[in-house]
Amino acid sequence: MALTGRAGLLAALGAVAVLFAPEPGLALAGIALLLLALILADLALAGAVRPLRFHRAGDSTVRLGNQARVELIVENPGSRRVRGALRDAWPPSAGAAPRHLALDVPAGEKRRLVTTLTPTRRGDREAVTVTVRSLGPLGVAARQGAHEVPWTVRVLPPFLSRKHLPSRLARLRELEGRHPALVRGQGTEFDSLREYVVGDDVRSIDWRATARRHDVVVRTWRPERDRRVLIVLDTGRTSAGRVGTAPVPLAGALPRTPPGEAAGADAVPPGWPRLDWSMDAALLLAALAARAGDRVDFLAYDRAVRAWVSGASRTELLSALVNVMAPLEAELVESDSAGMVSAVLSHAKRRCLVVLLTDLNSASLEEGLLPLLPQLSARHLVLVAAVSDPRVAAMARGRGTPELVYDAAAAERLNADRRAITARLRRHGVEVVDALPDDIAPALADAYLALKAAGRL
Amino acid sequence: MSAPAAPSTSLAPTPGVVWRRWRGTLVVGLLVLFTAGVVAVFSGGDSGEANDPADSSLSGSLGLARLLAQEGVRVERVTSAATAAAAAEAAGGDALLLVTALSYLTPGDLRTLADAPGDRLLAGVVSPHLAPGVTAVDRARPRSREPECALPAAVKAGSAYLGGVALDGPPGAIGCYPSADGPTLVSYTHQGRRITVAGGAEFLTNLRLAEDGNAALAMNLTGARSTVVWLTAPDEPPPLAGPSGRSFEELIPAGVWWAAGQLALAVALLALWRGRRLGPVVAERLPVVVRAAETVEGRGRLYRAGRARDRASAALRAGLLDRIVPRLGLPPDSGRDAVIAAVTARTGRDGHEVAAILYGPPPADDAGLVALASTLDTLERQVKDS
Repeated sequence: MALTGRAGLLAALGAVAVLFAPEPGLALAGIALLLLALILADLALAGAVRPLRFHRAGDSTVRLGNQARVELIVENPGSRRVRGALRDAWPPSAGAAPRHLALDVPAGEKRRLVTTLTPTRRGDREAVTVTVRSLGPLGVAARQGAHEVPWTVRVLPPFLSRKHLPSRLARLRELEGRHPALVRGQGTEFDSLREYVVGDDVRSIDWRATARRHDVVVRTWRPERDRRVLIVLDTGRTSAGRVGTAPVPLAGALPRTPPGEAAGADAVPPGWPRLDWSMDAALLLAALAARAGDRVDFLAYDRAVRAWVSGASRTELLSALVNVMAPLEAELVESDSAGMVSAVLSHAKRRCLVVLLTDLNSASLEEGLLPLLPQLSARHLVLVAAVSDPRVAAMARGRGTPELVYDAAAAERLNADRRAITARLRRHGVEVVDALPDDIAPALADAYLALKAAGRL
Repeated sequence: MSAPAAPSTSLAPTPGVVWRRWRGTLVVGLLVLFTAGVVAVFSGGDSGEANDPADSSLSGSLGLARLLAQEGVRVERVTSAATAAAAAEAAGGDALLLVTALSYLTPGDLRTLADAPGDRLLAGVVSPHLAPGVTAVDRARPRSREPECALPAAVKAGSAYLGGVALDGPPGAIGCYPSADGPTLVSYTHQGRRITVAGGAEFLTNLRLAEDGNAALAMNLTGARSTVVWLTAPDEPPPLAGPSGRSFEELIPAGVWWAAGQLALAVALLALWRGRRLGPVVAERLPVVVRAAETVEGRGRLYRAGRARDRASAALRAGLLDRIVPRLGLPPDSGRDAVIAAVTARTGRDGHEVAAILYGPPPADDAGLVALASTLDTLERQVKDS
C-alpha cells in the first residue's frame, strides 16, 4: 500500500475546517474517519497488482556505448483497470531510463512499456524487480507490489579499434598478392604458376615450366596461411590500473572531486582500465588474423583460466570473443605467471604466435614471467603487448617547480624500468609492443603484419 | 517467454513471510520495553530535587532525615514558605529552618521566612533576608576540608565535604572549613537565633553522608532542636499566571490545539507519501577505480618528502642519456668519456660543462634541481637539432 500527496493535502485542508469548527474535537475525529474511509475505498477499488503477468522482449546484447531497448509487456488478467506507475529496476550501471513509467492497462488487456538501457560498464546486467503502484479511482491511496521478471542484457566490449581494420586489411591484401605483388621472400609459400605479363619481375620466371609450356610462365607467391595465434589476456592486478581517457563513459571513469579538494592532479579522470584497452587491441588483432587465414585462440588468465576460446570458425570468432570478454573484470591479485605459461603450453600443442597482453611491470615480470620465458619461446613465438600511461609521459615533461621536477624524475625512473625490461625481453627473442592507449590496437596489428610479412609466424 | 498459465511472478509477501521478517524486530522491541520496565521498577524512589528528605537517590537526603528521626528529632518536610513559617510557629520556636533551595521563593516568601522563629541552616544558598551580613566571595571547589575553627559542631565532626562558595560573615561570626578565599561554613548569632550558612549542601546528600565527618557535622548542625523544618522545592512548579490570572496556554482557543493535531496528522500522511519507495534500492558491485599512474605519483611525492635530489637528478640524467645516446650514433653501453666527447662534438659546448651537466654532483637545493632539469632539456634540444 502507498499513499499519495492528495491524502496529505486533504488532511492539511481539514486543519482549516478544524480551526473554525464549533466542536473542533469532533471535527478532527470526523475528518480522520473520512480520510480513513477514502483511503480504504481507494485501496479496495484499485486494480490488483498480484495477478499481473509480465513478459519481456528486446535486446539481450549491446555494445558498450550503445543503447539497448528492453520491452516489458504488462498483461492485466484482473477485472479492474490498473492505472499508476511502474518501475523497472536495473543496476545503476545499466543506465536504465526512464526511471518511472506511467502505466494504464484496462482489464484483460496488455500494454508494452519500453526501457532504454545506456550501460556504462561491460558485463551481464540483470533486471532486479518490477514494482507496480496501482492508484485507486480517487487518487488518494494505491496498492503496491513487486514482481520478478528476469532478463539479462550482456554488455559487450565496444571494439572501437575496428576503425583501424580497413587500412590494416588493405596492407594484408598487399601482402597476400591480390594486388600484383610477386615478391618472393621468407614467409611466403608457392601459390601457383601463371603467364608472364609485362611488368612482372623477371627473377620470378619459372624456366622449367616455361620450357614445358612454350610460353613464359612466372611463379606467384603468397604469405603463409593457417598459422596459429594465441591471444593471452592477463586479468591480474596490473590490468586494473586506469589509463588514458575513456572514449566511452565507463562506470567510475568520471573524475571524483570531493568538495573542498583543490582541482589539481586529482581532477584527472581515471580513464579506462588497461584490461579494456587490451581487449580492444585483442579484438582488432583477432579480426585481422582471422581475415589473414590464421586460427585464433583466446585465453584470459590471472590465477585461473577466466576465459578460453578455441577452434571458433572465422565467421563466429569475433562474436565468440566479445561474448567471453564481456564479463571479464580485473582481479585484484598478482597473476600466476607459471600457471599462465603451463596453460599456454598445454593448450597450444603446435607452434603458434603467443600474444601476451599484460603490463611491463618490472617487479612482477622479473619474478614471474622472465624465468619462464625460455620454456615458452622455445616452442612458440612470443609477443608482449603493453599499454603505457599517457599521464606518466606527461609527468616526465613536468618542469618549472620542484614538485613537478620530482614527479618528472619519478616518471623517468618508471620509463627507465620499462626500457630495461623491454631490452631484457628482446634479448630473450620476445617481440615487445609498448604503446599509448589510443595506439596500442593499431601498433599490435602492425607488429602482427610485420611478423607475417617476415614469415616468422 | 512465459505461457498464460505460468506461476505468478509476484514478490508480494504472504502473512507467514511478514511474520518471519518482523519477528526479530518485535522480539527486540519487547526486550527493550521489558528492560525499561525493570529499570523503572528497581531504580527505586522518586528522583526529586536535590536534598529532598524524602528522596532515596544519591542526590537526595533521606539518610539524614532517617538519622534525625532515630535521634527523636521531628523532620517536617515543607514545600512553601507559608507552611514552613506555620510549622516553625507550631514548634514554638524550638525549631530549625533548613533551606537548600531558594529559586522558587518570591521576596514575599523570604520575608515570611525571615519572620519565622527558630534557628536557621542555609546549605548551598546565600540570602541577605535569612542570613543577614553573609555574602558569597568566590567559588570554592567542593572537597574534604578540615574545620580549623572553634565551632563545637565542626570540631567534633572533624573533616567534612564542603565547598561551593567561599563566604564572608558579619563581625563576630565563626568561619570554619576555610578555602583559599575564605571559610565555607559561617555560624553566628543574630537577634537571639543561631544562623549557620554552608557554602555547599553536598555533605547532606545520601552520596556523601557516610564519608568523613559529614554525618556528624550534619547531625550536629541540625539535631540541636526538637523539630527540623526542611524547606525543599515544590514537587510541581506553580504555573506562571498573566495579569488576568489566566496563563498563556489558557488564552489559546481550543480550536488551535485541535487544528495543530490535524496538521500533525497531515504531516504524518505526507511523510508516508514521500517515504514509500517505488521498488527497492539496487546495490551493485563496481570494479575498483585506481589510476595506473598512482604509484608513479606516490614515488614523486616520496622523492619530494625525502628531498631525494640525488635520486631525482640521477633518474633525469639516465632518462636523457637513454634518449640521446642512440641519436649520437653510440652503442647503448657507451662509457662516460665517449658520450661527453660525442655531445661536445655535436653541440660545440665546452667539454667540462657537458660533463658537469651529465655526470656532475647532485644539485644542492630544489632550485638547483629545477635548473638542472631545464639545462638537460636545453642540451637534449641542441643534440636533436644539430
